[in-house]
Amino acid sequence: MNARCAVLAVCLATLPSASAHRLDEYLQATRLSIDLERVDLEIDLTPGVAVASKIIDSIDTDRDGEISNAEGAAYARRMLRSVTLSVDGLTAPILLVESHFPPPGDMSHGIGTIQLRATAKVPAAGAGRHRISFLNTHQPESSVYLVNALIPANSRIQIADQRRDRAQHELTLDYTVAGNAPPVMAFAVLIGFLLAGRLCWLGRQALQQP
Amino acid sequence: MFRPALICLALLSPAVVISQQPAASAVKGNVTARVVDAANAFLATLSPAERAKCTFGFASSQRTGWSNLPSGIFQRNGLRFGDITARQREAALALVAAALSREGYQKVTNIMNGDEVLKNAGGGRTGGRPGAPGGPGGRGGGIRFGLDEYYIALLGAPSATDPWMLQFGGHHLAINVTVVGRSSVMTPSLPAAQPAKYTLNGQTIRPLGQENDKGFALINALNAEQQKHAILNYEVRDLVLGPGADGKVIQPEGILASQLDARQQAMLLDVVHEWVGILNDEAATAKMAEIKANLPQTWFAWSGATKNGGLAYYRIQGPTVIIEYAPQQGDLDHIHTIYRDPTNDYGAKLLKP
Repeated sequence: MNARCAVLAVCLATLPSASAHRLDEYLQATRLSIDLERVDLEIDLTPGVAVASKIIDSIDTDRDGEISNAEGAAYARRMLRSVTLSVDGLTAPILLVESHFPPPGDMSHGIGTIQLRATAKVPAAGAGRHRISFLNTHQPESSVYLVNALIPANSRIQIADQRRDRAQHELTLDYTVAGNAPPVMAFAVLIGFLLAGRLCWLGRQALQQP
Repeated sequence: MFRPALICLALLSPAVVISQQPAASAVKGNVTARVVDAANAFLATLSPAERAKCTFGFASSQRTGWSNLPSGIFQRNGLRFGDITARQREAALALVAAALSREGYQKVTNIMNGDEVLKNAGGGRTGGRPGAPGGPGGRGGGIRFGLDEYYIALLGAPSATDPWMLQFGGHHLAINVTVVGRSSVMTPSLPAAQPAKYTLNGQTIRPLGQENDKGFALINALNAEQQKHAILNYEVRDLVLGPGADGKVIQPEGILASQLDARQQAMLLDVVHEWVGILNDEAATAKMAEIKANLPQTWFAWSGATKNGGLAYYRIQGPTVIIEYAPQQGDLDHIHTIYRDPTNDYGAKLLKP
């Protein structure tokens, strides 16, 4: 490899405004994972440089420069109160499972991501078509949103349609749940019983022959 | 934001990398053997201490320890280009070139040169929160850009039979090449660019210009009915499956490639090749054949302007490929992309017993 190195004059057609990381937006990225009796939420929140101090101040309520577990949990619960999730028109309460807060210094430079993991128990979805509605109204004045559904791990669930508003505050998911296929073992046992019954009948017929 | 201005800057240090010779993979033969030779030649230039800094266990957490962020706010492991000699740097780049195609290596050097341009243009003055450690632009000494801030690491011992990995990256670049026998994969990888356009030696360089232009050409090759399916009615302002989203597969959207005609399908594959073709020709050919075979289950989604020069995001998602192209925060001069294979990131499929 003979990569040449040289000191060169560079003429820039444009001078970039140089942002290595998030600036004036609060990025709120949510991924939904649908199962028969629950919906899991992964919410990643990344404040940009220009909005970080406001976000940090709203979390670090005692202003000691650190985010305690209690402060983090309180903010996480506040954030989740801005999120609504309903399944087939019924609101499903969202419970915080865990949260991770980066150092405030990282957030102030636009590279710290708050990670919230939450879950909503929903009535067991029977076979047929269902609808999930998700809405995030947290910090709308400075936020950009991403919301997506993961491909369901449960093969009985198939996402049929997804619709969002322009800013991705809202996501409506239509999905279908396939009926319970008979378990292989139960099917095999049933076949076995039928065969055994048939054999008994044939045996009895043979004995009754003159 | 994009600020048009003609400004000439003299680069005083330390140099701009220019690749004018073919990458090793352009030569026919056993690619793995050549990559292994290049890796061993690079390792031979290192002192024991440097070697210890550069090498990791194949299964170590270093595997997922990559980022698009610059030094100063993301701490990479491995050997920093600014800390090695010109000879060592040349051997490191020879290894990268051996693993990649000629075009792929050129793309990598264009991205790196762009970061040097960014540095010399005063890049990264993002202005931290008043009183934040490190002052404006970074904590603990500030954000660092440029050619010195690229890192190389090897996971596992270079081998023609046993699995190992080459990691090369810095600001706006993460190349992860896993080698298993004669096969190699380059997922996940993150090629990005800022500035998206610069002039070097009188030449206009657009590191991701083809990705932009071919994407716009494809969306404009669709008829109105096809566009209705392909164009999402919402904004996508960032990568959905960027760094840290390993193993996630989202519900696909847009238009299925089975609803495209043969010419449009060829254009879609041509877009895909901009990422797949970064890797050496042998591996890229195999990967493209796999993606082509899965084309009927591959989706193309678009969000934003359809006139080239406007802001637009796009995603290509198939059973064995996910590609996203995402201008950052409304800035045409700052592009992030991601290339993943949900079945084979870090060579997962190749490592199955």
